Amino acid sequence: MSEKPITILYIDDEEHNLHSFKASFRKQYDITIASSVVTAEEILEKQDFCIILADQRMPIMTGVQFFEKIRTKYPKPIRILITGHTDIGAAIDAINKGEVFRFIDKPWDYGYVENAISHAYDIYKTREDLKERNEELQKANEELDKFVYSASHDLRAPLMSVLGIVNLALLEDDVKSQNEYLELIRQSVKKLDTFIINIIDYYKNARGVPVVTDISFDELVTEVQATIQYLPEYGNLQMTTDIEQDGVFQSDVMKLRIIFNNLINNAIKFQDTSKPNQFVHLKIKSTPKSAKIIIEDNGSGIRESDQDKIFKMFYRAGATNSGSGIGLYIVHEAIAKLGGEISVSSKVGEGSIFEVNIPSIRK
Amino acid sequence: MKPLLHFFLIDDSTFDLFIYEKLLKKSGITDSVKTFNSARDALKYLVSQADSLPESVILLDLQMPDMNGFEFIDEFDHLPQSLHEKIRIFMLSSTIDTRDIDKAKASRHIIDLLPKPLEITTLRNKLEI
Repeated sequence: MSEKPITILYIDDEEHNLHSFKASFRKQYDITIASSVVTAEEILEKQDFCIILADQRMPIMTGVQFFEKIRTKYPKPIRILITGHTDIGAAIDAINKGEVFRFIDKPWDYGYVENAISHAYDIYKTREDLKERNEELQKANEELDKFVYSASHDLRAPLMSVLGIVNLALLEDDVKSQNEYLELIRQSVKKLDTFIINIIDYYKNARGVPVVTDISFDELVTEVQATIQYLPEYGNLQMTTDIEQDGVFQSDVMKLRIIFNNLINNAIKFQDTSKPNQFVHLKIKSTPKSAKIIIEDNGSGIRESDQDKIFKMFYRAGATNSGSGIGLYIVHEAIAKLGGEISVSSKVGEGSIFEVNIPSIRK
Repeated sequence: MKPLLHFFLIDDSTFDLFIYEKLLKKSGITDSVKTFNSARDALKYLVSQADSLPESVILLDLQMPDMNGFEFIDEFDHLPQSLHEKIRIFMLSSTIDTRDIDKAKASRHIIDLLPKPLEITTLRNKLEI
């Protein structure tokens, strides 16, 4: 049985039928009863059901006529007809007009009813699951569409910049100024390469199989620092670390590397060079249960209106020096996959603090 | 000889602003280029200079944070007619998305969508200079 009980609406003009049905099945199912089609319709306005059972012979309209009437408005519930006097005409109508799933003969047999309900619920569940999958797929397709649109821009734009610089360089007679153009080409190529690396990271994070190992935050941070400290944009930034690791912490090192790389790179990229002492302070406190990572900088800061949007895919907050808007999205996805959380507090002109909390994954 | 046109460049990429400012000046099409790395700032400037603005050409990027090229056009639409008459807008973008291309074609304010990198001969032809 699933967690949620199967919801059933049973309509019969004979009260004692309703009550004996309810008495027999109330422990197994969530049963609502109605003694007329009018009441039944009122109930349907307010409540959803998995299965509707209706008696065939009722005043006002027959069970088949009732099903035919409600079928378009409430297509989700599976319909079962209870009938005492089977005549072939009613049976044909039930199938063709009411699209009834099963017939139950009166007087009904407990096992037979249970079986009919169980099969009806299977169909209900399969349809609902299919609908849910379809919605998920539609969402995934929309995201993919957006991804392709933005990614094609971020892949082409730096290339077109390079082409623009080359065209300009060709107009130049002065050989000396060529170096200036080469430097611009270098930067543009670098930007493109960063984006490609990000895309690969994103893919690995979304599709890759996680590899859980013991984590040494000391090693991890040293490794990440080694790759960034020679970057020209690193400048005079002072990076300090305060790592306190107590016991074994287990996680996916690939995802952690993505997280550290992006957050530290952002702190470097958005440093405020008008300040005399630019810094990034990285604080990690790790226990066998969880790790808290705090990255604080005195960079340019993030506008309050942008703070809830920076983790969205391709959202670019700043107009100057901003990347493709994929970095923090990947960070957010990676942290979500690890079962953790990220938050930001920031003030324009003062700096930003990113706080990450992730649980240790037990092997 | 006709007086040189005034140019505005609106692009979030500082590279592209640098490249196209230099290219425009080198080509002799203009000696006056004003650059903006935010569409919103450009819009504010246009409004504030509405009366004294010379006849101008805007080269407008499409994909920009905060306000993109099409959003700029939507706002531009609300500006006074006198400004519309003085300004000719070209979209300058690396997009190859047909929806963008169709949207640019359909806009009454965008004369044409020019692909990046900008070709001066194409621009000259479009401006008939």
